[in-house]
Amino acid sequence: MLASASARAQVLQIDTAHTLFHESPTKTNMTVYTPALDVTVNPAEWISVRGGYEADVVSGASVSTKAGPAYQAANPGIDVVTTASVKDLRHAPRGGLTLRKGDVSYTAVYTYGTENDYKSHNIFVAARTDAYEHNTQFEISYARNWDLVCDRIQAVNDAPPRFRAIEDSSGCFTGSDPLRTRHALGIDGLHGTWTQAWTSIFATQLVYTAQILDGFQSNPYRSVILAQGLKAQEYHPGNRTRQALALRLNVFVKPIKVAFRLTGRVYRDTWDITSGTGELEAERYLFEGFRAAARFRYYKQSGASFWSDDYTGGEPPLGPKGQYWTGDRELSPFSSFALGARFTYSLTPKGTGRVAGVFAGFKAGVSGDLVQFSYDEFTLGGAPITHARAFIVGLNMSAQF
Amino acid sequence: MRIRTAIVLVPIFVLAAGCVTVKPQQRAVLADPIMQFEGDPQANAQLRHAIENREGSYGGAGVSGGGCGCN
Repeated sequence: MLASASARAQVLQIDTAHTLFHESPTKTNMTVYTPALDVTVNPAEWISVRGGYEADVVSGASVSTKAGPAYQAANPGIDVVTTASVKDLRHAPRGGLTLRKGDVSYTAVYTYGTENDYKSHNIFVAARTDAYEHNTQFEISYARNWDLVCDRIQAVNDAPPRFRAIEDSSGCFTGSDPLRTRHALGIDGLHGTWTQAWTSIFATQLVYTAQILDGFQSNPYRSVILAQGLKAQEYHPGNRTRQALALRLNVFVKPIKVAFRLTGRVYRDTWDITSGTGELEAERYLFEGFRAAARFRYYKQSGASFWSDDYTGGEPPLGPKGQYWTGDRELSPFSSFALGARFTYSLTPKGTGRVAGVFAGFKAGVSGDLVQFSYDEFTLGGAPITHARAFIVGLNMSAQF
Repeated sequence: MRIRTAIVLVPIFVLAAGCVTVKPQQRAVLADPIMQFEGDPQANAQLRHAIENREGSYGGAGVSGGGCGCN
């Protein structure tokens, strides 16, 4: 952030990043490849125009029907947890511009997201200013989503315990299937950041995020067994307010020439999930232009107020236990830790020259992370999740012309 | 109570920041890529996207949106 002004002298910048995520815990697996490309043009010092594209290529299997240990005990030998094959492709083209005047800049970006069963329009606007002789930066931003989620048209007289999940995305947003409908989801996000240089080797960043979601937030493909013989589509509350506060510290330790980045984050929402995150990253140059970083992250959260590993046993006997039900392990109490490393090589020309006679600057990075999840309560019909490890590999390049 | 405390304390710290003077010639280390909070914003955003999609919480890093096929 403090050095971003150097990029303004470039006319054209191309950034590309690729991430591969793979996870294969008990009964399921998921692989997601995320490529992205952004092009930024600076026709004048006061304006930057950018356009880009990102995708998510998803394949694997996820839980489609979730049952608790009580149902499994009453139905021994039956595989009460079924998985569904998932293949999806999300496209997200985006474009925007940044205007600058003195120490102030304004940014606006529009992103359109589309996949077979989900459509999204997102606008993002931000204002940023420097203060106190550039030792301080303030940024405030707002984002708004207008999303649509595909679902089945449920029977008129049915209540949520009788709702059925959809099996696949066929007929979604095409108008070809009269049994398909769409639900709206609106998301408002507010974000404030205060970045402060305190000394020549120490800077902090305080970040506050608030988000309000209003609309359909369930997974339309997932079912939960509520009682003997009663399988219902996952049913989440329609409103959710989320808040997060993070403090980041960057300090450079001169004797060992290592930069340490420490982050602490607390989070709370109206579904009663609270979480804490701690991150530590250390980075240093191994030789000119080549730097190596190691990072560690720990995360722990409580479950949502309506979370249960077993929704059977409600009143009356065939009724649900509680008003809402979910099969989402992300709403259960769990902890995770991540270990990772990243290597970055930068080429910067001397004086007014160019790298290889072409680039005004070039940077390439590669990273790898291992994430281990530990679920306190989430089981698949009473069987605990094991091998809940995710592997994340990243590659990114940036060239300036 | 904690929110009220934060509402009082944060402006005090912000005002106190005005007393800090790091001169331009002292910012060589702060300007180095290893001291950036978002040195590789595109790569960092993708890593957050991959990790936070498997968690129940969100925020503290950036405002983003859009649906994905991995929820």
